[in-house]
Amino acid sequence: MAKKKRKRRSKVPQQRTNTDEEMRPAVEPRAPWSRRTSSAAIGVVVVAVLVMVLVFATRSPTSPKGSTGSGSTGTPVAAIVKVTSVSPSTLAAIGIPSGLPQIPALPADTPVVESGGKPVVTYIGAEYCPFCAAERWPVVVALSRFGTFSDLGTTTSASNDVYPNTPTPSFHGSSYVSDYLVFSAAETETAQGQPLDTLTAQQQQLFSTYDTKQYTGGNGGIPFTMIGNLYAWAGSSYDPGILKGLSFDEIASQLDDPSTEVARIIDGSANRITAMICLLTGNQPGQVCSAPYIQQEQGKLKG
Amino acid sequence: MMDRVPRWASPVSLLLSLTGFAVSTYLTIAHYTTPETLVCATSGTVNCERVTTSAQSMFLGIPVAVLGLAWFAAMTALSTPAAWRSESRLLHLARMLAAIGGIGFALWLVYAELVLIGAICLWCTVAHVMAFGLFVVSVITAPDLLARS
Repeated sequence: MAKKKRKRRSKVPQQRTNTDEEMRPAVEPRAPWSRRTSSAAIGVVVVAVLVMVLVFATRSPTSPKGSTGSGSTGTPVAAIVKVTSVSPSTLAAIGIPSGLPQIPALPADTPVVESGGKPVVTYIGAEYCPFCAAERWPVVVALSRFGTFSDLGTTTSASNDVYPNTPTPSFHGSSYVSDYLVFSAAETETAQGQPLDTLTAQQQQLFSTYDTKQYTGGNGGIPFTMIGNLYAWAGSSYDPGILKGLSFDEIASQLDDPSTEVARIIDGSANRITAMICLLTGNQPGQVCSAPYIQQEQGKLKG
Repeated sequence: MMDRVPRWASPVSLLLSLTGFAVSTYLTIAHYTTPETLVCATSGTVNCERVTTSAQSMFLGIPVAVLGLAWFAAMTALSTPAAWRSESRLLHLARMLAAIGGIGFALWLVYAELVLIGAICLWCTVAHVMAFGLFVVSVITAPDLLARS
């Protein structure tokens, strides 16, 4: 074989005329990028786009990661997307509704709550708890303006508690990425009361320190929500009864309709949480935090 | 060798770059003023406002529209007739790598629209199509351009 190769090379003319070279060079340098590579690269891009379009077109039948609760039955991904992408114009139209419970600011000397150099928003709840079910909706709507959830699940509250089978997102097994903050969430029990997530050391410390009579008015009540070192509260921002009789998809679908009571309450609560988070992130991103209703609410929150 | 590079490559790539630049300028203006300025549906699957105000509209703290503007500006410079005529291997390599980087980022944005946001921004799609066109022109012409220089 080696001989053959040498023989082939020797066939290449040592001298060529200019005309020959212009028409077709016999020895082309080995191209770092061949035509086959070009075709393959274009094919890869086209296939990638087709796969994404296919996923988009056929994604309705099942939940992204299934459900963890008792009453959930394969909530469409499209419904979850409705929760994580409520239109800014809807949120602006709703603003901050009257009647939301007061949330006093934490003392000014409250230590900073950070992780990896970013401020931390903490949520601690349980899937059986109907007030947690209610509070997750505005928390998800608000946080989705600062980052991206992955594998957000769905569940319902316990069937044998008040406001039974309230549909809700679940943070169990989900993740959240943001340029501005870290979201630290735990669902401690399933809808049937079985153990689920274990609190991290930081979650445990915040929960035992701030979910107390001194700060939230309750002793270990859930849901416990804490916006960095600025605000902390226990319980839901609204009466879970407004969700009675509605499915996950029905609630999610109403979030972008400012004329509905569901949107007014959930989006309104989300707007107030957004205003708090904006205070935490130094009003970043400006696209979210510069909205007049957010600025106005911040004035009230600062007192 | 220049003869083996299609004559259409230069004008087509320049047209794609300029169109993308114009669309990115429009999206950047909308970003810094109000998303309602975009002539686009605001409900249903096609919803520019939902996409341009989503968390994915920023990348490392920089608006994606601004990144698109910068990228199309660079591609415009790399797509001028003089750039296509150039014998500089580095320049042709830069065009191809920029085109690959651009389509890679566009794919991420399409994924964000279809999977994470669940809405499509028509103006963004025009920019993505221009990026795809530039990618095709760049990789089709790359074998000859890189071999000759």
